[in-house]
Amino acid sequence: MLPFKLPPQILRLVLVAMAIVGSYFAARSFLVPPSFGEYGWYRGDALGEIASRTPVFAGKQACDECHSEILHKLAADKHKTLSCEGCHGVSREHSNNPDVLPVKATGSHCIRCHEANLARPAWLKQIVVKDHYGPKCTECHVPHQPSKTP
Amino acid sequence: MKNQISRRGSLLRMGGAIAGLLTISVARTAKAAVQKVFVSANAPKGYDPTKHKWLMCIDDNKCIGCGLCAEACKKENGVPEGPYFRTWIERYIIPKPKPGSGETRGEAIVDSPNGGIPKGGVSAFPEPTLPKDQIEHAFFVPKLCNLCENPPCVQVCPVGATFKAPDGAVLIDPKYCIGCAFCVQACPYGARFLNPVSKTAEKCTLCYHRITRNLKPACVEICPAEARVFGDLNNLKADDPIQKFYEKNRVQVLKPHLGTEPRVLYAALDKEVR
Repeated sequence: MLPFKLPPQILRLVLVAMAIVGSYFAARSFLVPPSFGEYGWYRGDALGEIASRTPVFAGKQACDECHSEILHKLAADKHKTLSCEGCHGVSREHSNNPDVLPVKATGSHCIRCHEANLARPAWLKQIVVKDHYGPKCTECHVPHQPSKTP
Repeated sequence: MKNQISRRGSLLRMGGAIAGLLTISVARTAKAAVQKVFVSANAPKGYDPTKHKWLMCIDDNKCIGCGLCAEACKKENGVPEGPYFRTWIERYIIPKPKPGSGETRGEAIVDSPNGGIPKGGVSAFPEPTLPKDQIEHAFFVPKLCNLCENPPCVQVCPVGATFKAPDGAVLIDPKYCIGCAFCVQACPYGARFLNPVSKTAEKCTLCYHRITRNLKPACVEICPAEARVFGDLNNLKADDPIQKFYEKNRVQVLKPHLGTEPRVLYAALDKEVR
């Protein structure tokens, strides 16, 4: 037995306070997502959701699986830093299924980098397209081995 | 008398409401767990964001302004058509100073038509309006989210939708973003925009879906001049390109006076670049 009897109005106040605090915790568990605070003051699941996007570009490593011969040629010459998909286009489907052909690379890919531009660095070989010979780059240049002639 | 509220009745009702809320929260937790399983079916497994620290390095001597990075970024991330870019290329033209002005250079002219992406095989950058003999020098600068250590965009977000992940990537939770564009204003590097389709803020995620799968970001993958170098400071390989980069070059960051401490390092940057 308690040494004194809790006055009923205090008991009521305690009950109301407990109800308010209880409903706060109930509402909190209802409103805060479960993964909140996993890494910080945000929803941890968001990271997985952002990462769940499917990649579009296959990457040079995927090309190397079948076309290592061309990549060896490429690596031996000045175009070694180029990515396959820069000229041949997005090739993820082609890397999954070789029957789907990648985009045919055309001369506009050469001009994209090699057209003379004042802001381009001097180390890059540049041409003024209208003063340069030829309608077709590949008549004189080998894209995979730029120092060679066909 | 019938309508009078009894204490017992109201207490019961209150208890019932709390029990109801608790049941809903349990149901929600279960639903979230199911969703997590569903999401992680697509998300790469075994990626722990606390075990990585990403770093982007840009050698400005190497940028040739081809616009492949900006174009690849749009394709990779499904960025809408139009003037929306997560990464883009700027052209800086520094004119010669006026004779007798006592200055070393004129005021820089900066442009970035279509983010540097050529349209229909024609270079995005038109011939400068200044005659050639009045130009001191010109160069390209690739820009992207600077991956600040102290990101102003995170501070201003009123709903906590944008955050800095433990691996250094500044990301946006699209489910939380309300599209108020405070972050677009706050970013000192102009790296954010409102997606016209989803109406939420968007920015470079470092191709989070690629880096978590051990792939390079699309812009780094596609750059034909290796102007962009990307790596993980917490897992340096033997002669890692990023380690080589910051050991070999004298590096700087954009707007260092703001104290944002970017994780995007530039080499060979001109003082005009902001």
